[in-house]
Amino acid sequence: MAAAAAPALRCSLLQRRPLRCGPGARAVPGAGAALRPCSTRVALEGINKPVIDRIIRVDHAGEYGANRIYAGQMAVLGRSSVGPVIQQMWNQEKDHLKKFNELMVAYRVRPTVLLPFWNVAGFVLGAGSALLGKKGAMACTVAVEESISEHYNNQIRTLIEEDPEKYKELLQVIKQFRDEEQEHHDIGLEHDAEATPAYSVLKTAIQLGCKAAIFLSERI
Amino acid sequence: MAAAGGLRRAGWRLWRGRAVVRCQQYPPLRALQASAALRGASDEHKKEPWASSSQQHFDSPPAGHQPEQKPHPSYTGQGGQESEDYESEEQLQHRILTAALEFVPEHGWTAEAIAEGAKTLGLSVAAAGLFHSDGSELILHFVSECNTKLSELLKKEQKLVQLGEAEKKPTDEFLRDAVEARLRMLIPYIEKWPQALSVLLLPRNIPSSLNLLTSMIDDIWHYAGDQSTDFNWYTRRAVLTAIYNTTELVMMQDSSPGFEDTWRFLENRVADAMTMSNTASQVQSTGEAVVQGLMGAAVTIKNLAGLNQRR
Repeated sequence: MAAAAAPALRCSLLQRRPLRCGPGARAVPGAGAALRPCSTRVALEGINKPVIDRIIRVDHAGEYGANRIYAGQMAVLGRSSVGPVIQQMWNQEKDHLKKFNELMVAYRVRPTVLLPFWNVAGFVLGAGSALLGKKGAMACTVAVEESISEHYNNQIRTLIEEDPEKYKELLQVIKQFRDEEQEHHDIGLEHDAEATPAYSVLKTAIQLGCKAAIFLSERI
Repeated sequence: MAAAGGLRRAGWRLWRGRAVVRCQQYPPLRALQASAALRGASDEHKKEPWASSSQQHFDSPPAGHQPEQKPHPSYTGQGGQESEDYESEEQLQHRILTAALEFVPEHGWTAEAIAEGAKTLGLSVAAAGLFHSDGSELILHFVSECNTKLSELLKKEQKLVQLGEAEKKPTDEFLRDAVEARLRMLIPYIEKWPQALSVLLLPRNIPSSLNLLTSMIDDIWHYAGDQSTDFNWYTRRAVLTAIYNTTELVMMQDSSPGFEDTWRFLENRVADAMTMSNTASQVQSTGEAVVQGLMGAAVTIKNLAGLNQRR
């Protein structure tokens, strides 16, 4: 009985198709879709790997990008009166990035290929918005932080729909980060972000860019 | 309450049902061949339970099927899969392919090997009809099994290191040993492996074979202690994949005793990779130092020219 159960148990690992097999794995066409070869991941048991993969990958990319945006802003406005404010927000983003680095290793998630691109694009966005003045930099902060807060809220919803108990730690992290991003958003508003010339155009453009970045980072 | 639970379990099992439901709903040819294969060498009167309704199947194992085993209740949908007495189509295919591996050195990665394997399990040779004639599933099954074995080996080694019973190997030695261990699994089938490689490159098989390759390389790096979260993640895996593939090809044509030439080739490639990464980091730090130097020179010149004074 045990002998029959052992291979059966082994096969049930193979059978958990959408959950277990490697990233981007698809059903083998033909052969009755019965045999789906994949190496047994010795990673974390029972989690919805594709969903968690995406969440951590895109969040990591987001924090990396935010880091670079603040770096760009500091490069231009570092010695101005808003310098300390931006520095403080930047420090918090650095902490966020560190946390996601840890989660990425723990869950064995692949980072997005576009990281070098976000590196440059983030810095350019930060520096560019800072060149529009202090209000411009704050407007950029408001736009980005609003996008990120909404994005985190979506993820929290997804995780809660999946299984709030299983993903308790991850949910806690995302909730805390969402609150801090919301704080940044409010700080930006306090510093006259809305007084920027062409504020609504700037905000819409930046948020569109953020949406595209999120879409791409989840998949690539 | 219990009735609702029972209904739910039955419903759950129906939903998760494999071979029997497939027989009735999906393209029946292969599945029928499966049941034919199962029945092939055994009693004919077992046909009765198979033909009966699926509901009956899930509630009690077919009479006469493996009579020495007692039917016992399964309490959860998932667990139900293992404790039911008949096996699913996938489990059956898994068993046939594992048995078929023994005949590969003689027959190659073909339907003949699968048929021979089926025969040793007491099934009819028609079981080979469950699979493609080019042996794709057999090869993919073999690769998957090898990768699993490698993972287990690496995991065991990691445990030994964690318990302090073994030294942590330097990265190049670790990679070398892991790739060597994995390639050694090919030795019994080395004659027919070139044929397998060409089958793995068929467009139909590329998604699966690529998937298996990437997850194996990722496993090796994971146990080697790679914690990169930037573009290095890709660079390292690309480099190791190249090392693995080229070494595999060298192995196909190696006729030295004990494949010494292959292992030496592997050692050299891994050493090259290490040198490359050292060089890259040296270039980066040199570049940084140069930039610092230039900035310092610029500030000095500004000072000398009096441009840094505040008035």
